[in-house]
Amino acid sequence: MKSARLWSYLIFLTGVMYFIIPLIGMFEFSLRKRRGEYSFDAYTSVLTDAQFQQTFLYSLLMALVAIVFGILLVVPTAYWVRLRLPKMRPVVEFVTLLPLVIPPVVIAFGYIRLFNTSSVLPFLGSQFGTDVLLSCGYVVLALPYMYRAVDTGLRAIDILTLTEAAQGLGANWPAIIFRVIFPNVLVAVLSGAFLTFAIVIGEYVISALLDRPAFGPYLVWIGSNKAYEPSALAVMTFAVTWGCMALIQVVTRFSKHTRTSI
Amino acid sequence: MAYLDLLHLEKSFGPNHVVKDFNLRIEQGEFVSLLGPSGCGKTTVLRMVAGFETPNTGKILISGTDMVGSRPNQRNIGMVFQSYALFPNLTVAQNVGFGLSVAGKKRSQIAERVAEMLDLIGLADLGARFPFQLSGGQQQRVALARALAVRPKVLLLDEPLSALDAKIRLTLRREIRAIQQRLGITTIFVTHDQEEALSISDRVVVMNNGLADQIGTPFEIYNHPTTRFVAEFVGTLNTFEVTVTDPDVGAVMLGTTPLVLNRTIAAQKGAKVTLAMRPEAASLGRFGNMTLIGRIADVQFLGSIIRIRADIGAHQLTLDTFNRSDMPPPAIGSETPISLPTSSLVVLVK
Repeated sequence: MKSARLWSYLIFLTGVMYFIIPLIGMFEFSLRKRRGEYSFDAYTSVLTDAQFQQTFLYSLLMALVAIVFGILLVVPTAYWVRLRLPKMRPVVEFVTLLPLVIPPVVIAFGYIRLFNTSSVLPFLGSQFGTDVLLSCGYVVLALPYMYRAVDTGLRAIDILTLTEAAQGLGANWPAIIFRVIFPNVLVAVLSGAFLTFAIVIGEYVISALLDRPAFGPYLVWIGSNKAYEPSALAVMTFAVTWGCMALIQVVTRFSKHTRTSI
Repeated sequence: MAYLDLLHLEKSFGPNHVVKDFNLRIEQGEFVSLLGPSGCGKTTVLRMVAGFETPNTGKILISGTDMVGSRPNQRNIGMVFQSYALFPNLTVAQNVGFGLSVAGKKRSQIAERVAEMLDLIGLADLGARFPFQLSGGQQQRVALARALAVRPKVLLLDEPLSALDAKIRLTLRREIRAIQQRLGITTIFVTHDQEEALSISDRVVVMNNGLADQIGTPFEIYNHPTTRFVAEFVGTLNTFEVTVTDPDVGAVMLGTTPLVLNRTIAAQKGAKVTLAMRPEAASLGRFGNMTLIGRIADVQFLGSIIRIRADIGAHQLTLDTFNRSDMPPPAIGSETPISLPTSSLVVLVK
């Protein structure tokens, strides 16, 4: 029994080291910018870089737009599929998985072919139009994660009975979705939102091909032109992702109504 | 024209004909139970009244207005579900006030009505709690208050007590009846529990295979079942296959024993019919005009009641007697006279 526990700890420790040691190495390397001593010079250099601020804020804004679009698309769809079209669920799940098998480069070239300046919908003819296309691309990339998160949230509640209860009390469809369903899958929606955020912040292909000033292309540019700053940026990106994951946990824990019934 | 008329309702799900020519008239303030086994169509009838299912044919009239074309949120019909269906993200007070809130009522009006409803269900001090902080019985009370808060035209209760333990079920069913009588609200109650249906209803509809087999008061349903299904489904029943020897005087042969019911039987001479009798109608000893000799086969002590099984020829009879400390039950294997009052024997021709 004790031997089994010891092996469990050893395997766990090996796993932790497998992940942690490269991160420690990267963090240590990011502190070496100043010769002969550790410093946060690389971080200062990155944070004071105007291009960093500009690209990060741009990607942040795109992430927020993609999250809002994604929620408005996925929550009603997943709800309606569960409520009225359960037989369509495998089809919808398959569609939501497509972004995992279709490379982003295909999506980007598809946009360029379909929405160029000589097309019926010349989205690429303006910066705003291109931004709209980019945010749509981000929604597509995040679709597998957002859909699964929301679908799992919906599975945890009896949506049919809650819907009927709300209808019986006089609620129309918008009231049912925004006052009953949405608040009850909020934690799942937030999980999807944070995952979307993490994807958008690091995305390179679509933003580069659409020539938008996003954070992903900046990461690649700085990686090929500087030595210590890429490591500093990677550490910061990890911190942002972990921050998002921690936020999911906090929201789940402090969500009053999701606690177990007495 | 009654307050609520269900006229010739039919409902099929694919090849399954779930509700067949269902007719029911309910007066204002009446409490009617739909009683039947699982799959008999009782919940489907309720859901058609609520608007969650659309009948294939038929009408649902409330005060003469046909509701069939209108959506559930336009009908103003309150419904209480077996699984409570409280909104987990809202407090008790917000749940109760939900219907008023979506109707666009003022906050002060909502608060006043919510307080009134919480007072009605005896949970006035629990308005700030979330559903997960309540017991099952409390949650179902809140669900009832929520359904009543919007002053519905009809209240529908879909097996509201099934998920509760026996003691709470008993208390809550009394409370439901008391609240219904106090508010005078027309109520349809769906249950598969005969005791529940008989104890709180003005009338009971016993359903079988999508049809209303019998509609009557609990007294009528229990004491004068019109079909074999009703007789067997409601309460415990002794049934005997007998042969009619003289339909005019109600003479029949139970095996080799002649019995005379002293009333007309709607069957021809020589026809096989079923005689039915409740266990409590028979008694040990010689009373009345019909006594048979039975051999005691089994005695079950059930507290206030003793259930005795006796063999009468090739037939078996179950009878209930009150437990009396000065009168021990008969010994197994002993032979004893058993009286069957003819008035309590029901002839089931269907």
